[in-house]
Amino acid sequence: MTTKRKATKKSAKPRSTRAAMSVATSKSKPIKERVAALAEVPLAVCESDKDLQATLNVLRNQDEPIEVRLAALQSLQAASFSVVAFESCRADYIAALRKVATDPDPELRQRVLGILAREKDGFVQKKLLEGLKNPTKALVPAEKALQLLSYDIHSEAYSVARKIVENPPNEDAKLEALRLLAADAKSAPVFEKLLRDKNENAEIRQISAAALQALKPERLQSNARAILLDDSDHDDIKATSLTALTQFGDAEAVAKDETLKKQVGKISEKGGAKVKRSARHFMSKYGR
Amino acid sequence: MNVELQINNSTNTRARFVSWIPSPCRIRITNPSGATSPHGMNIKLSSVSAANGSEVVFRKGTTGAFSSTLTLSVPINGTSVPFFVAGRFGHPSTNNGDVRIEARLGNALVGSVKLMVRVRKNANNLTTAERDRLVAAFAQLNNQGAGRFADFRDMHTNISSPQAHGAAGFLPWHRAYLLDLERELQNIDPSVALPYWRFDQPSPNIFTLDFFGVSNTLGTVQFSPTNPLQFWRTDSVPGINRRPFFATNTAPPGLRTETQTLALGNAYPAFRTMEGNPHGSAHVSFGGFISSIGTAARDPLFFLLHCNVDRLWAKWQRQFNRFDPAVAASYDGAANPIGHNLPDTMWPWNGITTPPRPPTAPGGALASSPCVSAPGPQPRVRDSLDYQGVINSVSCLGFDYDDVPFA
Repeated sequence: MTTKRKATKKSAKPRSTRAAMSVATSKSKPIKERVAALAEVPLAVCESDKDLQATLNVLRNQDEPIEVRLAALQSLQAASFSVVAFESCRADYIAALRKVATDPDPELRQRVLGILAREKDGFVQKKLLEGLKNPTKALVPAEKALQLLSYDIHSEAYSVARKIVENPPNEDAKLEALRLLAADAKSAPVFEKLLRDKNENAEIRQISAAALQALKPERLQSNARAILLDDSDHDDIKATSLTALTQFGDAEAVAKDETLKKQVGKISEKGGAKVKRSARHFMSKYGR
Repeated sequence: MNVELQINNSTNTRARFVSWIPSPCRIRITNPSGATSPHGMNIKLSSVSAANGSEVVFRKGTTGAFSSTLTLSVPINGTSVPFFVAGRFGHPSTNNGDVRIEARLGNALVGSVKLMVRVRKNANNLTTAERDRLVAAFAQLNNQGAGRFADFRDMHTNISSPQAHGAAGFLPWHRAYLLDLERELQNIDPSVALPYWRFDQPSPNIFTLDFFGVSNTLGTVQFSPTNPLQFWRTDSVPGINRRPFFATNTAPPGLRTETQTLALGNAYPAFRTMEGNPHGSAHVSFGGFISSIGTAARDPLFFLLHCNVDRLWAKWQRQFNRFDPAVAASYDGAANPIGHNLPDTMWPWNGITTPPRPPTAPGGALASSPCVSAPGPQPRVRDSLDYQGVINSVSCLGFDYDDVPFA
């Protein structure tokens, strides 16, 4: 009984940074305990170079369990939010990330590539483009590479993305390529075509609407109108069109468009639940 | 007879918002016809709630208990009589104008005004209407990347991060940042208050197609076709990348709970270690925008995460009475980098772009409010502390949390 009470008391008391780091870096401790210890004290690495190097070692070491390595990465990432305190750790941290960017574990690799891509790291951008041009060298699937390249778009990425839209390895890659191209004014005609294609999937038409709204808002407005007046088009894209017109449309032009308002009135009574909701928002703004 | 009721001492309808903090109000007789006394008429104020509406309470002066009614002697010569109104704690509004103050002379209604008890709430518990108003206001502020939101995105970058992170000013800076954003949202829809993501509790209602979206396996966030956030755009790229490393119907693992965070210590330097866990840990419980400083503000969820960080600070301040900048334990008195000391002005609102400040100052002055005058266009670090006006009523920043009372 005494032993049990002691154990309970021990676990309730917050442990020191030193004790937590000792558990985190000890290979003899259970994985769960090490993961919990790493989550506990992310700022420890800012306070001691020894703790920083120990955590980086765990991250780099392929013999460590992957759960512990991922926890070490998360702990370092959390610490990186304390910019001023983390400044002295940054160079070692980035160097370790670049090393782990080609790690055999796909999850760790993907997370590290994401961090470096968000830092607009040239080394990673080059690797991602290489992988898109030559899939045997790819560190991540094409759709992930495109998503990561969108953090810092270069013209080279546009040409690769255009090729993927024309000949996608899968639907996800096509979607991510389109998302990347949404910053490219030259791609507006592609988005207009996809938006009006009733055979395209709903998500591709939705992203096309968002891209066109930003690149050529007047084209989105006229296409949205045409979609709404077309009784044979799908409810999902009608709801997206209504949302665009309600939120971002040319209010004066829409308010005067009696044909459109009459049609939306019809949709608000006869459409599916989602499109009816969008129609009601439209009607509350523009009236019948 | 008619009376005029001024909320927050203003005739502006956009000033008709209160929280738990006592709001200064005035009443005056605008039409004395029918007055029976040459001196003053006894006018009774009461709170009338719409169905499921909020409640307000009254008091005569700056101190004393609040009550559900208040009778004031109001001169017939048109002189204003001051009083104070506050939302009854635990009874916030869900819609604008869902509570009314009625002024009666005997049984006769001589004036009334509709108002809202507007406080920051748990995003997981918002009504459908509250949720829809919030996402519409966010979408409008972003305006497909061309709106005012771009300034907020540009305020929180790698270059500017030393102004806001890693030192004592972390909490005050983000309080001003959230307030600026919230006031801009309220310029679009005054009924909106920034809600918080209680990251130590399951919040399944936030991660839905109709609210802040559902992430696919790649981490691309998907929205319902009725959700205007489908048009969200930052840095010229549409959409949001957010890959949760936890099931979104649960809380992320490994984060300090509210109780553990509030127990970090009764002095600010100890409490501020929450910048690592839970704050940093909450950010990195995802991959995608929100998990790196330079991109975090591209995800609107960022503002809900930080609203909870700020709520924890507010709760800690209330627990230990840490509102007074003159009390050492309320802040970190050590020499801090510029922008992190109590008398320092905060970037970017101060417009300073010479080193060590960042080279640009996006967004200009901090947005003003029709309800309160603080913190002014160029807030100092110290202006963030007394957010409820506990030490000095004019310091009140005009926001409150649903679970942090005024007193």
